[in-house]
Amino acid sequence: MTKRIILGAVAILLVIVAAYASFFIAPQERTMGLIQRIFYFHAATAWAGEMTFFVCFLANLLYVWKRQPKYDWLGVSSAEVGLACITVVLITGPIWAHPVWGIWWTWDARLTSTFVLWLLYVSYLLLRTLIEEPERRALLSALFGIFAFLDVPLVFFSIRWWRTQHPQPVIMGGSGSGLDPTMSKVFFFSVLAMHVLAAFLIVERYVLEKMKSEFDFLAREVEAQ
Amino acid sequence: MKNLDSVFAAYIVGWGVFFVFYLTIAKRTSNLRAELDRLKSSLPRAK
Amino acid sequence: MSLFSNAAVLLGKELRTEFRSRELLTTTVVFILVVLILFSFAISPTTEESREFGPGLLWLAILFAASLMLQPCFLREQTNDTLSSLRLAVSDPFSIFLAKLIANTLFLLLTELIMLPFFAIFYNVPVLPEFHWLLLVLFLGSLGISIAGTALSAISAQARMRELLLPLLLLPLLTPVLVVSATVTVGLFEREPIVKGKGIAFLAVFDVVFLTALWLFGEYLLEE
Repeated sequence: MTKRIILGAVAILLVIVAAYASFFIAPQERTMGLIQRIFYFHAATAWAGEMTFFVCFLANLLYVWKRQPKYDWLGVSSAEVGLACITVVLITGPIWAHPVWGIWWTWDARLTSTFVLWLLYVSYLLLRTLIEEPERRALLSALFGIFAFLDVPLVFFSIRWWRTQHPQPVIMGGSGSGLDPTMSKVFFFSVLAMHVLAAFLIVERYVLEKMKSEFDFLAREVEAQ
Repeated sequence: MKNLDSVFAAYIVGWGVFFVFYLTIAKRTSNLRAELDRLKSSLPRAK
Repeated sequence: MSLFSNAAVLLGKELRTEFRSRELLTTTVVFILVVLILFSFAISPTTEESREFGPGLLWLAILFAASLMLQPCFLREQTNDTLSSLRLAVSDPFSIFLAKLIANTLFLLLTELIMLPFFAIFYNVPVLPEFHWLLLVLFLGSLGISIAGTALSAISAQARMRELLLPLLLLPLLTPVLVVSATVTVGLFEREPIVKGKGIAFLAVFDVVFLTALWLFGEYLLEE
């Protein structure tokens, strides 16, 4: 319990420091000005989201292999946290884009792929609600989760290739657009902060799932009497 | 400052999503803990 | 190898079952036709627009049709619980999947070929010139749809709201197939050779990845 509180406190601290750094330490970007600072939050959250989906994939594989409920708990926790991250990315993206480029949305490669990723994990979570029996739910959602994760690189490559056929404005600076060294440091610190926050949220969600499982077990015991 | 409101909006919405997510987890956890304690206390009685 | 001979026998069963009633094929053909016509009403394309958007709409229609056509795939086995007998009968559960996905690919391809003349006429698309390439794209795309669809229909058959669940799971997963097949098909009618090679290679990669995944994890999909 105390470890969780410490993790939460560290997460919040890091996030606050990262935000401060984004505004007061990072230099102002030449072309976009103030609004570019959203990048530190937006891109760091995207990286954290991708990491949590990878954790989800590992949890799914481990469940199919070992069949221990804890991997199912980890799977659903990381999927939900990942979805929260991607939701933040999909919301902060347009908020950044609109003042700068005048449009809320464009079907550019990264945005489109991120949106498909979001849909895949929504489907994963919806699937879980539609299967009642816990072991079956764990197995089938783990298998779908594995297929979904294998699909992710295919989604990114196919959409990027598609966009080279029909170029669109590249929003939010292409990858590797060369960051100034201070900007890089602030960015990587933000990445760290978001990863710690994601880890904290996964732990909290995991504890809830574990408790749910305990509750169901006890409820069945009571019923049996 | 230009676009300051957009920057604020982005951070507030972004943190908001995580905050709401955490709150729902915390609330469900505390509700469940109450239910769990209630269930645990009913068990030895039944035995 | 018993995997392939089992699969062959099961494939025969799948084909015979379908060709006895042909209900799946006919309803799928009619469905795609209706969708294509409705697209025209919704968009009212000019001739150039038809040629430009037609292939994308065709693939979209194929995807929708497939997500409906794949419903009975494992649901059919549930009515008389034939799945458990199938699993006992074969040594490798992958042969069940192999048979079903080949059957589904054939059904989809057949549907598409029947649809093609209608598509060519309604959308004013010159399908004949690059026909062999078109066939290849249709085949690889349909194979991808069938592999993913067969796997996911095994999942959705075990859940509630399966009629809505299968499209929900399948369509996001098949985005790469839709995007690449549609782009390559458009390119075919506009004679862009560069588009062909990469796109077709990508579809082949997609098919291999998911076929391998199905081979590795298929038995768990069928667990009791």
